[in-house]
Amino acid sequence: MTTASPLPSNFSATSTLPPGATAPSSLPFIPQYSFPPFFTLQPVASTRSSQLSSWSTHIQSYCQHNRIFSLTLVDALNTPLFHNAQIHRRLNLRDAKVILAWMASAEGGNRAEFISTSTTKSKKAASGEEDGGKCWIYWRRPEEWAAALEEWVDRTGQKGTVLTLYEIVEGDASLKEEFWNMDEDLLRKSLAVCVRRGKAQIFGGEGSEGVKFF
Amino acid sequence: MGNSSSSNRISAQDKAILDMKNQRDKLRQYQKRITVLTDREKQIAKECLTKGQTDKAKLALRRKKYQESQLSKMDAQLAQLEQLTGDVEFALVQKDVLYGLQQGTSVLKEIHREMGGIENVEKLLADNEEARAYQEEISELLANKMSNQDEDEVEDELEALEAEVNGVPALPNAPVAQPQFTPEEKAQIAKDRAARRARERAAEQASQPMLA
Repeated sequence: MTTASPLPSNFSATSTLPPGATAPSSLPFIPQYSFPPFFTLQPVASTRSSQLSSWSTHIQSYCQHNRIFSLTLVDALNTPLFHNAQIHRRLNLRDAKVILAWMASAEGGNRAEFISTSTTKSKKAASGEEDGGKCWIYWRRPEEWAAALEEWVDRTGQKGTVLTLYEIVEGDASLKEEFWNMDEDLLRKSLAVCVRRGKAQIFGGEGSEGVKFF
Repeated sequence: MGNSSSSNRISAQDKAILDMKNQRDKLRQYQKRITVLTDREKQIAKECLTKGQTDKAKLALRRKKYQESQLSKMDAQLAQLEQLTGDVEFALVQKDVLYGLQQGTSVLKEIHREMGGIENVEKLLADNEEARAYQEEISELLANKMSNQDEDEVEDELEALEAEVNGVPALPNAPVAQPQFTPEEKAQIAKDRAARRARERAAEQASQPMLA
């Protein structure tokens, strides 16, 4: 999992994918990606379920490789994620939503979560879609991020010290970590998990929160 | 979401440290911004030069120079801030160490108090000595209660054991052939026998009249 560390520096975590951005060639796409029927949702239930799980794997590995934490569907449809230019196939918006909805369900392992548009910062998503235009892709779920954060704090002996959220995602100390440059909202979600477990406490004013691990 | 009112484990120091760290983060962000700006000014200067607008290029470079001087000032401030934060954190650690020492000392004192002071320990040691001497006396008394017979038996057993351990001393071999007698010896044996028989007969005759 950690091998996907080469960071495309032009990706800021919250930004939607720039149109025409191509994935670095080193990303191994799953074999089904060059199989044309993969881009049309299959009507037969068993085929469909395996197709859905393949898509889920594909989306997760793509996002992990490019360190994308959230997708805006309308923009993502034009990226290699949903558009295989070599075989001239693309997934349509409706099917993409179906796949993401499946990923967000318990059956799909809660690997995605739709962001309600009222709090969405992306204006494109708000104008393009009423709901479900933007969603988290959890190639690591908040609980898993929380565990990674706790492990990092433990390993670097930072228990009991005060850390700023900015420091965690942008600081030099976490430069080699997987959560470096992570989406701040996702970080908050993950830290909230730590707080619920009693492993950390968040304090300070809005926008300048700090966290203390125990 | 997390800034609930239950700040039970967050001290005022933590808040102060957080403020300082936030300040540091802001400086870092500002530095980032300035760096982007200087790059852009350089770009502008280049573009202006290619267009032949030397004045504009100069202006851009001047702005770049100014921003760079700001950047170095900020570096100094950042270092100061980080040093202060480090000092505060280290002071907190020292406080913890002091607290730990205090705790340890008071526990040690408490234990000593429970032991009841030096006199008590001395008294206890003296008592202990006395008791041991008494015990030794008892042991001695018990050891002397052994009777002579018991001692003999003990020695016998010891000898038997020694014999068992060391083995029986070497014995002479039994003769394998009949003894060979010379004629003089044979005559001597016959004489001895005759003498013995004569002695026996004499003894018999001597006892007879006493019976009669």
